[in-house]
Amino acid sequence: MMTNALKALAPVLALTLCSALAAIAQESPTAPPLSDAERAVAAFKAGRYTEALATARRAADASPTAVRALTTRAAIAEFMGEFDEARTFYDRAAALTPDDTGLIYRMASHAVRVGEYDRALAHLDRLLALHPRQVRWLFQYAPTRFQAKLLREHPSLEHIVQIKIDILTEKGDLAQARRMAQGYAIVQPGQDYCGQARSVMAGRNREDVFKAFRLATLGQPDAADCIWWYGQWLSDEGYVRLGRLMVIEGARVTGSATNKESGARYVRIRLGGNRDVPKRAEQLFLIARQRYLRDDDIEGATRLFDECIRLAPGFARPYNYRALMAADQGDREAALAWYRKGLKADADSWRTHRNLGKLLSEMERYPEAEMHLRKTVELFGDDAGGHLALARVLYAEGKYDEFLKEATAAVTFLNAKTQIVDVREFLSKFDRWGPGAALPPAPDPNVIIGWNYD
Amino acid sequence: MTSRLKRGLLLLGVAVVLTPGTISAGSYKWVDEKGNVTYSDRPPQSAQSPATAPVVAVPLDLKNLDARPVPPLQEQDVKKYLPPAVIPRSGPTRIDDLLELSGVRAQLVGLARGLAKELRPAPGIMSAKDQASIDRVLSKSLRHETVYGLLREAFIPQVDRTNLEATAAWLRSPLGRRITMLEVSTSDPSFEQKVADYAAELKANRPSDRRVELIWRLDWVMGSSESAADLYVTLSRGVTKAVSAAGPPERRLRPGQIEEQVAEIRARVRGPLSAMHHSATLYAYRDLTDDELTAYVVFSSSDAGRWYNLAMHKAMASAVGRTVEQTAAELVRAVPVERWARVAQPAAQAVR
Repeated sequence: MMTNALKALAPVLALTLCSALAAIAQESPTAPPLSDAERAVAAFKAGRYTEALATARRAADASPTAVRALTTRAAIAEFMGEFDEARTFYDRAAALTPDDTGLIYRMASHAVRVGEYDRALAHLDRLLALHPRQVRWLFQYAPTRFQAKLLREHPSLEHIVQIKIDILTEKGDLAQARRMAQGYAIVQPGQDYCGQARSVMAGRNREDVFKAFRLATLGQPDAADCIWWYGQWLSDEGYVRLGRLMVIEGARVTGSATNKESGARYVRIRLGGNRDVPKRAEQLFLIARQRYLRDDDIEGATRLFDECIRLAPGFARPYNYRALMAADQGDREAALAWYRKGLKADADSWRTHRNLGKLLSEMERYPEAEMHLRKTVELFGDDAGGHLALARVLYAEGKYDEFLKEATAAVTFLNAKTQIVDVREFLSKFDRWGPGAALPPAPDPNVIIGWNYD
Repeated sequence: MTSRLKRGLLLLGVAVVLTPGTISAGSYKWVDEKGNVTYSDRPPQSAQSPATAPVVAVPLDLKNLDARPVPPLQEQDVKKYLPPAVIPRSGPTRIDDLLELSGVRAQLVGLARGLAKELRPAPGIMSAKDQASIDRVLSKSLRHETVYGLLREAFIPQVDRTNLEATAAWLRSPLGRRITMLEVSTSDPSFEQKVADYAAELKANRPSDRRVELIWRLDWVMGSSESAADLYVTLSRGVTKAVSAAGPPERRLRPGQIEEQVAEIRARVRGPLSAMHHSATLYAYRDLTDDELTAYVVFSSSDAGRWYNLAMHKAMASAVGRTVEQTAAELVRAVPVERWARVAQPAAQAVR
């Protein structure tokens, strides 16, 4: 009955071909703007970021004294993780317009992005100095009850406060960050920021979630679960530095010894423990990931990931992405080598063991896959997807009793959270008929915040 | 079951490549004479498109069956159907002999012909020159000998001599030969209509629970439905990769994106494919007794049967995947993608 099944599939060929052709045969609707700078902005707005950067570079090279061309190039370069280039062109623009408040703010923001906090603070001082004397006096000395109105009337002052709060937080001085947030009425006493943040979660807008939980962290220092959750959410988003700070803070605040232990384990197996990840490396990682996943910019992503690894050799995530890229290109051996480098850098990286185990499973190298997937579930026992991946490997090896144990554990855990009809159906058939030809399904449902993405 | 219905079921998966999340399982999509695209939970009904037989799933409710498998295979008197332990034959079986005995070579003829037919645009859509280019590519790339050669090449590294001889013995046995002939007959162009007619009668004349369980169990030990889903994924992946590579850079899909999409499609088509397969299997083996079918299950459950099925599934996926990807790449080389857009937006031809 082999080709009978195949015959049923024949029409898919034509249909897939038609569908795929229809998708790529659409015409591009954009009309070219006049100048390179305008074209760069248009390309950026249209999401063609690589093209935007190339066009912005041409524009700035062609007009080295045009502030707009220089700032456009700097901003797009920063967005694309070309931080040195961004700084160079911000500086050139600033030399031409030293009192441009918007530009100074961008330079401060860029400095924070790469972790150069002192330089950022100097820019903020310069920005403040450009305000009238009376405004500066009120900003520095007026009581809290006047600050909300002042910041509303002078948004640039609020920008200064927000950046300073971020700097304090990122440097680990959460107490001072909270005092500042209270002092400038960014947060008010008695507000349920945590409850508001949880309600924002329903909308799933990342920016909103980020802002809401940031406020909760600043305004409700005792909300251990909320802070902890924020840290795990940040970890999924890739903000490993801030995520680590928040998980550690949540674990510090909680009264539960179990939770404290769980927090310590999370930091160790998910965030690299005490391994230093400089801010610049973290940001390079975030942008490299986007350049690969969003822009399909293999060259750019590779360069940024490699730079990230150079700056933070103990940071496992970029190794995982280099492995993913190699696997995507069909070079599985290179992918294995990258995962192994990742484990050499961080032997307790749950994600690296997991990814490596799953790739080895795909390659039918089951004994090795079993070793890494066992380590995966040993590191994180509630990893249902990991248990199912391990169960599949055990089945392939003919270790049916162990398969049953792992699969049943995962089903028991997942039943309350998600539907896994395929797995349950497979187990029913296995129970009745014994081993079948096909390997068991190994879905990987994302059910626990903080363990879903890298 | 008709090919139109199959198309509808398959389109369900293909459509989600480009419109993820917009079509729920069980949907159909078609384009009417005016080019309007319609989605429905029922297949299109029109004079040009006669009512198709519904997908008759033959469900197996494991919970309501007896606690024990009925009857346990080890207690079955199936020995008379199984090949002799000692095989009266001189010399080892060659790979080509095994593949010949399995009937796969004969079935590939129909498969290659069917793929070419599906890929050829309807008359009048393409220019005569483009049509000729397409025909040239199809006749060159979709030759059954080519697919067979690739299948053979992929099969050889998996050869296990002991299991190969045991499989050959089964295929040479009277029951094995009879089953092979039944399977080869599924390549007959009239098979689909016959299954459709048979499926229409299943509601009124449901086979015995034992029969249904045997069919499901055969699928379980052979992994046929899962293999069909794997092949579906292989076809989708191959075509999408080839076409994506020929398109403009900003519209190309990253390999990881293709994998994510095909995984989603696989999940969606698995059920319908399984239902189709069970109906077709019930029909194809309708003349076998339960004991004979049980013997087939016994062989398929043996080490040799497991080896053979796994090796054949892998070889088939490899051969068909390579053929399809290469054919699609040559098609978009021969006729630029812009000109295929007309095929992708059919006006008068229903997409079922």
